[in-house]
Amino acid sequence: MNMNRRTFLKSTSAAGAVAVSALSGCATIGNSGPKVVIVGGGYGGATAAKYIKMWGPHIDVTLIERDTEFVSCPLSNLVLGGSRTMKDITLSYETLQKKYGVKMVRGEAIAVDAEKKNVRLASGDSIPFDRIILSPGVDFMYDMVPGLNNADAQAKVLHAWKAGSQTLALRKQLESMRDGGVFAISIPETPFRCPPGPYERACQVASYFKQQKPKSKVLILDANMDIVSKPGLFKKAFVEMYSGIIEYRGSSKLVDVDTRAMTAKLEFDDVKADVLNVLPPMKAGSIANPFITANKRWCEVNWLTYESKNVPGVHLLGDALQIAPLMPKSGHMANAHGKACAAAVVALLTGEQPNASPTLTNTCYSFVSAEKVVHVASVHKYDEKDKTMKTVPGSGGLSAAANELEAQYAMTWAKNIWADALG
Amino acid sequence: MPRQKESQMKTSIFLAAAISALTIMDLSAQVPTQSPAATVPPPPSTFAAPNLTPLGARALAVNCSACHGTNGNSAGGAIAGLAGMNKEYLVGQMKLFKEGKREATLMHQIAKGYSDAEIAAMADFFAAQKK
Repeated sequence: MNMNRRTFLKSTSAAGAVAVSALSGCATIGNSGPKVVIVGGGYGGATAAKYIKMWGPHIDVTLIERDTEFVSCPLSNLVLGGSRTMKDITLSYETLQKKYGVKMVRGEAIAVDAEKKNVRLASGDSIPFDRIILSPGVDFMYDMVPGLNNADAQAKVLHAWKAGSQTLALRKQLESMRDGGVFAISIPETPFRCPPGPYERACQVASYFKQQKPKSKVLILDANMDIVSKPGLFKKAFVEMYSGIIEYRGSSKLVDVDTRAMTAKLEFDDVKADVLNVLPPMKAGSIANPFITANKRWCEVNWLTYESKNVPGVHLLGDALQIAPLMPKSGHMANAHGKACAAAVVALLTGEQPNASPTLTNTCYSFVSAEKVVHVASVHKYDEKDKTMKTVPGSGGLSAAANELEAQYAMTWAKNIWADALG
Repeated sequence: MPRQKESQMKTSIFLAAAISALTIMDLSAQVPTQSPAATVPPPPSTFAAPNLTPLGARALAVNCSACHGTNGNSAGGAIAGLAGMNKEYLVGQMKLFKEGKREATLMHQIAKGYSDAEIAAMADFFAAQKK
C-alpha cells in the first residue's frame, strides 16, 4: 500500500515537473513544445517571435535572420539628412534571446518545404517546424531596370530602401557631391514599401542641401501621377521649406538607368543626376515566391490567421502581403501583423479558435525636416463579408500641419515599437 | 431604354465623375484633415462582431503597444504609459478624444476606430497590467 502510494506520488510529481517546465518556457527545454520557425527579423518577424514566446512560452520559437543586428528603416532617412547616425537606428537581438528564449539562427533561408515541414538554409542546414512564419520584406525587381541588373551598377546607383550599409553609402554619396549638384530619386508605381518614405527622403536630403550645399537640387521622379501619401502635407513642405530646392515630377516612370552617364531613362525623357537613388519596383522577398498569388508579386493571406491562401501551415507578414484596401506597407503595420499572427499561431497550436474579429492600427510619422513631423493614421477592422481588413469609417487621418510636437511623439514611437518588437 | 431615361442616366454618370474629380482636386489643393476613408462612401457595415472576451480585449489592446509600449509600459518620453491605468480614467479620456474635447495630434483619429464597448474592454486589460 505504502509502496504503491509512494510510486503514485513519484509519478504525479514527475508529471507535475514536466507540466511546470513546459509552461516555464526556458529555452533549454524548449524542444518539447511545438516548433515555430520565423524567417526574417524585421518589424513583423521579430514582433511575432517575441509575442509567441510571451503568449505561448511552451512553444519552441526559432528566428532565422541574415543580419547580425536590427537596423530600422523608419528614421533611416534622418541619417541621410544628417540629424541621426546609424548607431541611433541599430538595435540588438539579444533581449529576444535572453529574456524571451527565442532561438536565433544567423543565416539565409532559401527554401520552404511545406509538406515535409522544414526550411533549408544556404548553409545546407535544415530546420523542422510545425508552423512557419515568413516575414521576408521586399525584393527589388531589377529585371525591370536592366541597367541596374548587375552588382557593379547596384553598388553605384543605390536603393537604400533596406536600412543598413546602403543607408550609410548613400549618405557618403551625398556628402561627396559638389554643391550645385542634383540628387534624383526615382519612385516606382504603388504598391511599394513605405508609401510616404520617398517624399520624406526628398525633404531630408533637401534639408541637408539647404544647410550645407545651398546651390544643389532634389529632383523627385515619381512613376505615380501624384504624391501617394500625405500629398497636401508634403506639397506644403516642398513649397514652404524647400522652394527652389525640391522639384517634383509626377508620371515620370523610370524604364532604365545608364550608370556610366548617371542618367535616369524615363519613358519620354532622360535625366542626368550627380547622385541617383532608384527605388526599383518591389515584390515579396524571394523565400515567399511559392506563396505569391497576387500580380506575381505579393502573397494573399487569411486575415484571421495570416496563413497563406494557397498553402496551409505557412504564415506570412508585413510588406510581402497583398495589402487590404488603404493598408500601407509600413513597419508599424508589420508590427501589428506580427501580434495578430502570433495570437493566431498560439491559438492554432493549442487547439483554440483564432480571433474572428481582428483590428489593426497604423501610424506613420514622416520627418519633413529635422524638427518637424507629419503623420497619417488608420484603424482597420475585419470585414466578414469580403474577408478583408477595411478602414473604420470616420477614423484615421492626417496631421493638421507639420509640427514639432509630433517629432517628440515620433521619437518615442520609435523607442516603443523597437522595444515592442525586440524586447 | 427610353431616350429620356438614358440621357438622364448619362447626365448622372457625368455628374458623378465631375463630383469625384472635384473631390480629388480639393484633396490635392488643400491640407486634408480627414481620413481618406471619409472621402469615399462608407462600406456596408459587415465588420465582424467585436470580440470582448479577455483574449479579444488583449488583441485590441496590443494595437496600443507600438506607441505606448508592450502591455502599456512606455519607454518614456512624450507618450504616456497605459499599464495599471485606472479604467474609468482611460475610458473617460478616450471618450474626450473621440468627441474632440481633448486636444490631440492623432488620438482623436485613432479613438474613432473603436466602439465604447471595445474601449472599455481595452481599459480593463490595461488596468490589470503591471507597471
